[in-house]
Amino acid sequence: MKSTLETLRKEAAHLLKEERVKFVIGYAQGTDLARTTPFFAANVRQAGMLTWTPFCVYSLVKYLLDFRYDDIRLAVVVKGCDSRAVNRLVQDNQFARERVVVLGIPCGGMLDREKVLRVVEPAAALLEAEDRGTEYLLKTDCGEFCFEKQETLLAKCLECEHNVPVVADRMVGPKVPSPARPGMDRFAGVRELEALDTAARSAFWDRHFARCLRCFACRNVCPACNCKECSLERAVPGWQQGVCWLSKRTSLGLNHMFHLIRMYHVTGRCIDCGECARVCPVNIPLRELYRKVAKDANELLGMSLPGLDPEEKPLLTTYQATDPDEFM
Amino acid sequence: MSHENPLLPRPATIQKIIPETGDVKTFRLTLDDAEAMAAWHHEPGQLGMLSVFGVGEAMFSISSSPTKREYIEFSIKRMGKVTRALHELEAGCQVGLRGPYGNHFPYEKFKGKDLLFVGGGIGLAPLRSLIDFVLAEENRGDYGRVEILYGARSYDDLCFKDDVLDGWVRQPGTVVYTTIDQAEERWTGHVGFVPAYLKEVAPTPENKYALICGPPVMIKFVMQALQKLGFREEQIYSTLELRMKCGIGKCGRCNIGSKFVCLEGPVFNMVEIGQLPPEF
Amino acid sequence: MERDRLAAFLDQIATRYHLVAPVAEDGVVDYRRVDDARRVVLDELSTVPPKTHFFPQTEELYSYSTVTGLEIKETVGTPAAVLFGVRPCDLKGFLALDPVFAGRFRDPYYWSKRERTIIIGLSCTTVQSTCFCQAFDGSPVNGEGADVLFTPLEAVYLVEILTSKGEQLAAEFSTFLGTEGVEEALRGKEALARELDGRFIRQVDLEGVKEKADRMFDHPYWRRLARRCLGCGICTFLCPTCHCFDVVDENRGDRTGLRVRCWDSCMFTDFTLHTSGHNPRPSKTERLRNRILHKLKYHLDRYGLHGCVGCGRCVAKCPVNIDLTKVIAEIREVD
Repeated sequence: MKSTLETLRKEAAHLLKEERVKFVIGYAQGTDLARTTPFFAANVRQAGMLTWTPFCVYSLVKYLLDFRYDDIRLAVVVKGCDSRAVNRLVQDNQFARERVVVLGIPCGGMLDREKVLRVVEPAAALLEAEDRGTEYLLKTDCGEFCFEKQETLLAKCLECEHNVPVVADRMVGPKVPSPARPGMDRFAGVRELEALDTAARSAFWDRHFARCLRCFACRNVCPACNCKECSLERAVPGWQQGVCWLSKRTSLGLNHMFHLIRMYHVTGRCIDCGECARVCPVNIPLRELYRKVAKDANELLGMSLPGLDPEEKPLLTTYQATDPDEFM
Repeated sequence: MSHENPLLPRPATIQKIIPETGDVKTFRLTLDDAEAMAAWHHEPGQLGMLSVFGVGEAMFSISSSPTKREYIEFSIKRMGKVTRALHELEAGCQVGLRGPYGNHFPYEKFKGKDLLFVGGGIGLAPLRSLIDFVLAEENRGDYGRVEILYGARSYDDLCFKDDVLDGWVRQPGTVVYTTIDQAEERWTGHVGFVPAYLKEVAPTPENKYALICGPPVMIKFVMQALQKLGFREEQIYSTLELRMKCGIGKCGRCNIGSKFVCLEGPVFNMVEIGQLPPEF
Repeated sequence: MERDRLAAFLDQIATRYHLVAPVAEDGVVDYRRVDDARRVVLDELSTVPPKTHFFPQTEELYSYSTVTGLEIKETVGTPAAVLFGVRPCDLKGFLALDPVFAGRFRDPYYWSKRERTIIIGLSCTTVQSTCFCQAFDGSPVNGEGADVLFTPLEAVYLVEILTSKGEQLAAEFSTFLGTEGVEEALRGKEALARELDGRFIRQVDLEGVKEKADRMFDHPYWRRLARRCLGCGICTFLCPTCHCFDVVDENRGDRTGLRVRCWDSCMFTDFTLHTSGHNPRPSKTERLRNRILHKLKYHLDRYGLHGCVGCGRCVAKCPVNIDLTKVIAEIREVD
């Protein structure tokens, strides 16, 4: 990872020095060993603060939308999973492709910080991380620690389908083997839920949705959500003559409504980056919800994972005479 | 809990609706409970929270003078959810009322002084409460000359036409300057923006307080104009408007820095405004 | 109290009071009504703070009917409750909320619950990596704000009765309490306090921060800080001192309905949005600045109390690692 990081910093410094971009959106070391933080490098000095470790979980592409109406160019660091978000936003004409320099990094998987912190003190300083294929070696000021990928990667990384970015203007660092567990099934969790009887499935989602705080983290982090005005944004004065779909009140029914609206709105647009589930403060397995629709769309309409191709049309904007219509 | 529950509105009935402009109506209310109505007291500049049940609650300036003991008036522009619902109501309909809230114009301090009122559009509503208070027979002797400078976008947008073009004009010791933004055939008065007209009228600052209410941008330019005319910050008062939900300093959204507009406002002296972070 | 009698003690309480205590579900700990003491989580800080008990996320204010004239029916009936297992930081959180809901307009919803609840605090036996209660004069064994404080020691709980409400509870359940070995337990608590004191990883220095916050409203730092903010409500919703709410009506469509208040967040775009479209805090910069200054300055200005108790929830849960302890350090550093 060291040479990749050097290349990344060099690329970033070059882009900033030449004033090709206003910011390079990447990662910097966070406030403990197992955290990074999104970082907007604005000059050559700051390019030197960029980092690349097995804790760069964040998808940074959504930040492009904050500059949607500004006349500036940006560079953004992407991994395989979040690179799909670039195509997603380009597809919806949310950000002109030529305004962004995509710095793609082939990814060997991200470590689960909880698991790492069971072994290493959070206050330890990370000196260097080495991707050894099947394991990560973390060199810290408290010693060296080895983490077997199959045991300590985030669940989403063990299901990874594209560890090499699907879109990049510069590929930074060498290609690395996919961390995915051989024979993995992206829809295994959905299948488990499908196997439950209706009452048990309903109880499962009731239990989870009852906890929802409606903090909007899932929506705000989601690259499938790019509406200027959101139908879930409640009590916005004058929105559609003051009509609000959902009140701010939390209740099981309204929380169901909230999540089902979101589920349908991300249909054909969800790139399955897993950020929603990561940010949820009350552990709602949102990813399985969106994957259920993705799985249905795949089985019924042959939809592949969104975000692979900037030219593809989002599922719900297309119609073919051969589409199944048993439900009509 | 009822008597002490500040979040519980009291039922009130709309006695009369006076259309002011195409999108402003004045609602004349009485509290349904006669005792509560008799006990009602507000000060000029204070706020009231109106409820349309099933739609919501919103905060408005009380536009009638406290000297009018038999009713409470609100002059409301149709803007959003609650105001639309209010505009659809008729006389006889019931609404909810909480309040009065907030501070008020320090009229005790104004005694013996001349007063200059500068209002724009619906911003005349809170000033009207004080104007009518000052012009009321029992108080008139306490105050000096009253100047009122009022402007709106068009003739149709002038609120309180009966007062502005007639009632107040007839009052002794009172001058009303009215202006509209663009010329119209039926309008023979002044044409131009409020701050510009103010410079033209050029009121003197001696022994005088200036009271402003209107759109934020108008307030800003009027303050500048007044200072150019020699008014000191201490002589200028304005009301600030922020979104409110509770009106009682709990819901946290009307803060400007450490101040809650619902408690420490809406009336601020310009010295205080200068000390607030520019976040309103 | 002997440690193994805690479950029986709580079960006994649950027969006479609404017992509210931290329970875990899918890895999330929050305070709920419990009937079975075995479910109570004793060894970690809750995900959602116990302010939910006095200031629930959604609370009905009253119901109304306009079928035959306007009728407003107040929501009444607050059961007597025992809130068990409140950590010292969260106890301070209550003390920070109290003056907001008091004052000239006393909030009856908050206070009816506050007054009818006996709070049993629980000293911490560990310090998490995100904890920084020390910075705000807190301590893992500080019972300020509790009626009774339990401190877990090797074999016993040191039970300290701190208020008359606490005395009432102690009298009611006196069979569980003994006076033997109290001296030793008090020494044990002191030892625990000393030990935990050295375990804080985060050293937060507030020296000069308030003064700096007083004069850095226009600093470009806020814009830099806010760039990575997602504008979600996690930090505010999980904060033991955040008290913002919205008031909304729900119309059942038959001329009856409810008015409820529910948590709102100054991090949301529409929080301060006027109907006219004017927004005094139009971007993430102003909104995040408001939150940070509320914690470090505004609350202090208004009530003489810090708006932060150092529980570390926002640090732990911010999805983009905006870390208040780092922010405090940066505020001290910037010019």
